[in-house]
Amino acid sequence: MWEFFARSLEASTIFTLAALGELINQRSGILNVGIEGVMLFGATLGFIAAQLSESYLLGFVVAIAIGGLLGLMHGFFSVTLGADQVVVGMGIWILGFGLTTYIGNPYTGPLGMDRIPTISGLSPFFYLGLVLVLVTWFVLSKTSLGLRIRSVGENPAVAEVSGISVARTRYLCVMVGGMLGGFGGAVYSLFYNPVWNYNFLMGWGFIALALVFFSTWNPWILLGGSLLFGTLWQLSLNPQLVLPGVMSRYLWRTVPFVTTIIVLLIMASKWFRIRWGAAKPEALGVPYLKE
Amino acid sequence: MRLGRYELKLEKRLTVSGWEAASISILAILFALALFSIIFVLAGINPLLAYREILSYAFANPFGLPPTINRFIFLLLCSFAFIIPFRAGLWNIGMAGQFYVGALAAFGVLYAFGGKVSRSADLPAEIVIPLMLLGAAVGGGVLGGIAGFLRGKLNINEIVVTMMLNFIAYWLVALMIKEGGAFMNPGGRGESFELPASVHAPLVSNVPFTLLLALGFAIYLYFLFARTKIGYQIRAHGLSPAAAQYAGVSTVKISILVFVVGGALAGMAGYHYFAAVPGVYKIARNYGYFGDLAFYGIICGLISLANPLAAIPVALLFAGLTVGGRFVQGQLSIGFGVDYALLGVLMITLVAFQFFYRYRLVLAKGPELEETVDVGVFR
Amino acid sequence: MLLEQVRHGETVLEARGITKRFPGVVANDGIHFEIRAGEIHAILGENGAGKTTLMNILFGLYQPDEGEIWIGGQQVKFRSPLDAIDLGIGMVHQNRRLVSAHSALENIILGHPKAGKILDLKRAEAEIGELCERYGFSVDLKAKVWQLAEGEKQVVEILKALYRGAKILILDEPTSALAPPETKKLLSSIQAMTQDELAIVPFITHKLPIVLAVSDRVTVLRQGKVTARLQTEGATEQSLAKEMVGREVIFRLERVKAEKGQPILQVEDLSAASDKGYLALKGVSFSICEGEIFGIAGISGNGQHELAEVLAGLRKAEAGTVWLDGTDITRASALERWRRGMGYVPAERVDVGSIGDFSLVENVTMNYYFDEDYCRGGVVRYRGIRRLTKEIVSEYSVATTGPDSKAKTLSGGNLQKLILGRVLSRKPRLLIANLPTQGLDVGATEFVRNKLIEAKKQKAGILLLSEDLDEILSLSDWVAPIYEGELMGIIPGEEARRDIVGALMAGSVTGGAAR
Repeated sequence: MWEFFARSLEASTIFTLAALGELINQRSGILNVGIEGVMLFGATLGFIAAQLSESYLLGFVVAIAIGGLLGLMHGFFSVTLGADQVVVGMGIWILGFGLTTYIGNPYTGPLGMDRIPTISGLSPFFYLGLVLVLVTWFVLSKTSLGLRIRSVGENPAVAEVSGISVARTRYLCVMVGGMLGGFGGAVYSLFYNPVWNYNFLMGWGFIALALVFFSTWNPWILLGGSLLFGTLWQLSLNPQLVLPGVMSRYLWRTVPFVTTIIVLLIMASKWFRIRWGAAKPEALGVPYLKE
Repeated sequence: MRLGRYELKLEKRLTVSGWEAASISILAILFALALFSIIFVLAGINPLLAYREILSYAFANPFGLPPTINRFIFLLLCSFAFIIPFRAGLWNIGMAGQFYVGALAAFGVLYAFGGKVSRSADLPAEIVIPLMLLGAAVGGGVLGGIAGFLRGKLNINEIVVTMMLNFIAYWLVALMIKEGGAFMNPGGRGESFELPASVHAPLVSNVPFTLLLALGFAIYLYFLFARTKIGYQIRAHGLSPAAAQYAGVSTVKISILVFVVGGALAGMAGYHYFAAVPGVYKIARNYGYFGDLAFYGIICGLISLANPLAAIPVALLFAGLTVGGRFVQGQLSIGFGVDYALLGVLMITLVAFQFFYRYRLVLAKGPELEETVDVGVFR
Repeated sequence: MLLEQVRHGETVLEARGITKRFPGVVANDGIHFEIRAGEIHAILGENGAGKTTLMNILFGLYQPDEGEIWIGGQQVKFRSPLDAIDLGIGMVHQNRRLVSAHSALENIILGHPKAGKILDLKRAEAEIGELCERYGFSVDLKAKVWQLAEGEKQVVEILKALYRGAKILILDEPTSALAPPETKKLLSSIQAMTQDELAIVPFITHKLPIVLAVSDRVTVLRQGKVTARLQTEGATEQSLAKEMVGREVIFRLERVKAEKGQPILQVEDLSAASDKGYLALKGVSFSICEGEIFGIAGISGNGQHELAEVLAGLRKAEAGTVWLDGTDITRASALERWRRGMGYVPAERVDVGSIGDFSLVENVTMNYYFDEDYCRGGVVRYRGIRRLTKEIVSEYSVATTGPDSKAKTLSGGNLQKLILGRVLSRKPRLLIANLPTQGLDVGATEFVRNKLIEAKKQKAGILLLSEDLDEILSLSDWVAPIYEGELMGIIPGEEARRDIVGALMAGSVTGGAAR
C-alpha cells in the first residue's frame, strides 16, 4: 500500500510540473495545447542524454533546455508572429509526437542506470514540486513580476501603456512553462518509468492541460488536482493492488480519461462556470500585436 | 531590407487570394520536404534519391500503389473528419478514437450476424456490408457527437475531450480484441477475428468501393459549404460564433452536427481499413499505428485550407509519402518511424508558414488591386 | 522630469504645427496650442475632427509627421506612451485602459517603478488614499475594477495618472459615461487639481454646457485644423457649436406623431443575468405599439445590454414573459424571433452584427439564409441575395468597392448602414436598435436616425437603447430611464425633461418618476 501511495505521489509530481508550467503560460495569456509534445521531447531527449552520458543531471538539463526552447518557439510563433495559438500548440504536439518516435526508437528499452534515491520513501521530485507550487503562488500573487504577468494575461494593451513589455513578459512565461513541461517529461522517463517505448506518454500532457482549466489558475487547486489524477493514474495501472478483480485491466486504463471528462462536466455547472469565468485570464489565446 | 533599388519588406494583408493561399500551402509542403531531407542526409543517403524511391514505390510500383490508394482513402476520410468541425471553428483531434470505434462498431455488426463463427460463414453481403458501414458511421458519429454536445451545450474544450476519447477508444479496442475480449481472434495473437470471405467489401478494379465513397464526399462537402444553408451556418459559426448566434444559428446544433458528421466519416475510415482493404480484413494488432496516422488528417485539413476538394491531392501525396516512407525505411535502412517524423516536420512547417497568410513579402512599392476570395481559415 | 516645479500660468505643454497624415486624409494639419499650469483647457471637435489623432500624438502612440512638442520649455520626442508618462503627461482614455479582473489598487500601481519587487500594497494604499482625500475622490481601492461603476473606473484612471506624477492630465470625453451627479463630483475634483497647478486638458465632442461651466480656455478643431482659440468667458453654446461644425446647427429632428396602433411587444417582469452571473435586469415591464419608438436611456452597464439580448433571443430570461404580437416568445430561439418579424441591430457591429471575413453578400445572407424566398431545398440563392445587397448598398449609400468586398474593409459608419439596411429590408414588426449611432460621424448619425423615423412611419415598433440622452429625447414616443437593471419610470416623449430623465438615469428616485 505504501508502495502504491509513493508511486501515486510520483505520478502526481509529473502532472504538477507540467500543469504548473502551463498555468504560468496561461497566466500570461498564452495557451499551449501542445504540452504533451513538450513533455515527449523532454522525456525522450532527457532519456537519451542520460543514457549516453550516464548522468542524470545532464539528462535533466537537456530535458529542461529542450522544453525551454520549445517554449520559446511557441513564443516566437504566437507572441512575435501573432499566429493562432491553438494551431501552434497542435504543431508542437504533433512535432513532438512524430519526431520523438523517430529519434527515440533506437533507444527503445530500459534506461539501465541506478535509480535516483528517494527521500524518506518519497520521490525527491515530489518535494521539489511542492516548493515550485509555493514559489509560483508567491510570485504570481505577491510580487511585482506576478502582477505584471497577470496583467499581460488579462489585458496586454493596458499592460503595455503601463510600461510593461508584453512580449518580454510572455516570452519569459512560455520559456519557464516549457522548461517545467520538459522537466516533467524527464521525471517520467528518468524516474517514474525509466524505459523508452514508442509513444509512452499517453495523454499526460492533455490531462495536465485539463488540470489547468480545473485549477481556475490557482496553483494550490492545481496541486490538489494533480494528486487526484496521480492517484487515479496509478490505480489504473495497478488496480489489483487496491481493488483486485474489479473490471478488466483495459477498462481500468480508461479511468483517468473518463474522470477528466467527468471533471470537465462538473466544471460546466453554473456554480463553477461563474468562478471560472472570473478567474480566466481574459486575453488567453488572443494574439496581441503592438500597433 | 534593401536590395539595390528595391526594398524588401513585410506587409500586413487583410485578404489572401485563392491562388496565393494555394501557393503558400504548396511552398509549405516543399519546404517541409526539404527540411525533412536532413534525416536522409544524416543517414548518409542522397535525399533526391530517397524521394525518388519513395514516390516511385508509392505511385509506380504494383506492390506500392494499392496500399497508397487505400491509405489515401483513409487519410481523405480522416481529413474530412477534421475539416467539417474546423469550418465551424472547432477542433476535432479525435479522428483516431472515432476511427477505432468505427472499426469496433463495424465488427460489432458482423459479430451480431455470427461473423465470428467461421471465416467461411456465408453471410448475406448485400445486407451485412451496408450495415457494417452504417454501424461504423454511427459508432464514429456517436463518439464525435459526445465532444460536439459537450462543446456546444456546455462549452467544454473540445480538444481535451476528443483527445481523452481517443485514449478511451484505444483501450476499448484492446478490451474487445485482446485477452478474452468478444472480438478476440481464436488464434490469440492480440487481433480481432477475421472477416468471412462472403462479406469482403466489393472491389472496383481492385480498389475498395470506399474510394468512390470518399471522393463522393469530397464533392458533396464542397457543394455543401459553397451553396447550402447548412454550409452557410457552419461557415458563419466558424468565423464568428457570436455573429452566427445573432443570425439565429444554434451553436449547440452546429457543434453536434459537425462533430457527428466528422466522427461518422472517421468511423467509416475504420470500416475501410479493417473490413475493406484486401489482405487485412481484421482489426490488426497494431491498430494504434493506424490511429496515429489518422492525425495526418489534421495536417491535411490545415494545408488544404479546409477545402474538401483541395484535400484530395494533399491526402494522395501524404498517402504516397507515408507508404513509400515505410518502404524505404527498410530498403535504405533508416530508423523506424520515418512517417512519424514527416508528420512532425510537416506540421511545424505549416505553423511557420501560417505567418504568410497574414503578411507578405513585397519587393518595391506600388498599389496593388486584386480579386480576392474567401479563405478565412487562419484568422 | 521637466515639470518638477511649475508656477501658475506658466506654459507647460506646447504643440507647434503638429501635422499627421494617413493614407487619404490629413488628420492633423499644423495644429498649434499651448497649455498652462493650473488651467482647464478644453479641446473641442466633432468626431473626425482629428481629436483622437492629436491625443495619440500627445500620448506618444503616434509620431507626428511634422511639428514639435515642447514640455516645460524643452523640445521633446515621444517614442512610446512611456516617454509621455515619464515627462508628466497622464492620459485618461474613454475606452478604459484598466485590467478589469484586478483591484483598483493593483491597477494604479501596475508598472509603477515604485511598486518594488515584492508588492507593498499597504504603503501604496496609504499614498493613494491621500490623493483621494486631497481631490475628493471616493473609490474602494480593494474592489475589482469590473465591479466599479463607470465613474469610479474613470477615477481609478485619474488616480493612476496622478500616482505616476502627471502634471498634465488629458481627459478623453470625461463626462460622456457619467450621470449628472457623478459629473458634478468630477468637475469639483478637477477644480481642486488646478489648485495644485495641474493642467487639465479635456477632449470633448458633445456636452457643450460642461465646457462652458468649467474650462478657462477652449481650442476648437475642425477637419484637422485649429479653427478657434478662445477664452471660455464670453463664449456661448451656439458660438462654440458654430466653430465646431462650421455652420449654424439646429439640434432638432422632425418629431413624428405616433398613431396609436396595436401593441407589438409586451414585456412583463423580465429578468436576466449578466455574463458574470449576477442579476443585471430586474423585473422590467413595458409594451411597445405599432409606430412607436420606445427609448431606453441609461449609462452603459445598467442592464440595457442584457435587455436587448434577452429580447433578441441571445440570452436566457431568468424570469418573466415576452409576447410578440400576442404570442409568448420567452423561450423562442433567435431564429424563430427573426422569422416572427423581430429585427435586431446590435451594439457590437463588428463582432456580432457582421462577419468581417464574409463578403457583403454573405453578410446580408445572415438575415436571409432562413428565408424561403432566398433558400429553397436547403440551397441558398446567392444570386437573389446579391441583388438585394446591391439595392441596400445603393439605398443606404454604403461606400464600398462592391458587394463581394469583405465587410472588414468597411468603415464603422458604412458597416452600420449595411447592418441597418439589411435588418430594415426585412420590414421588421419590431426593431431593437442598441446604440445605433455610437461612434458614427454626424452625417451617418443623421442618416441612421432618419431611417429609424422612416421605419416608425411604416408602423414598426422600435426599441431604442442609447446612452445619448439627446438622441433618446428627440426620437422617442416613450422615454424609460434605466438604472441598475430597473426602469425608473416610463415617461411620454413630449413630457420628458432632460433634467428629470438625467436624474432618473443616475438612480435618483425623487426625480419625479412618472408613469
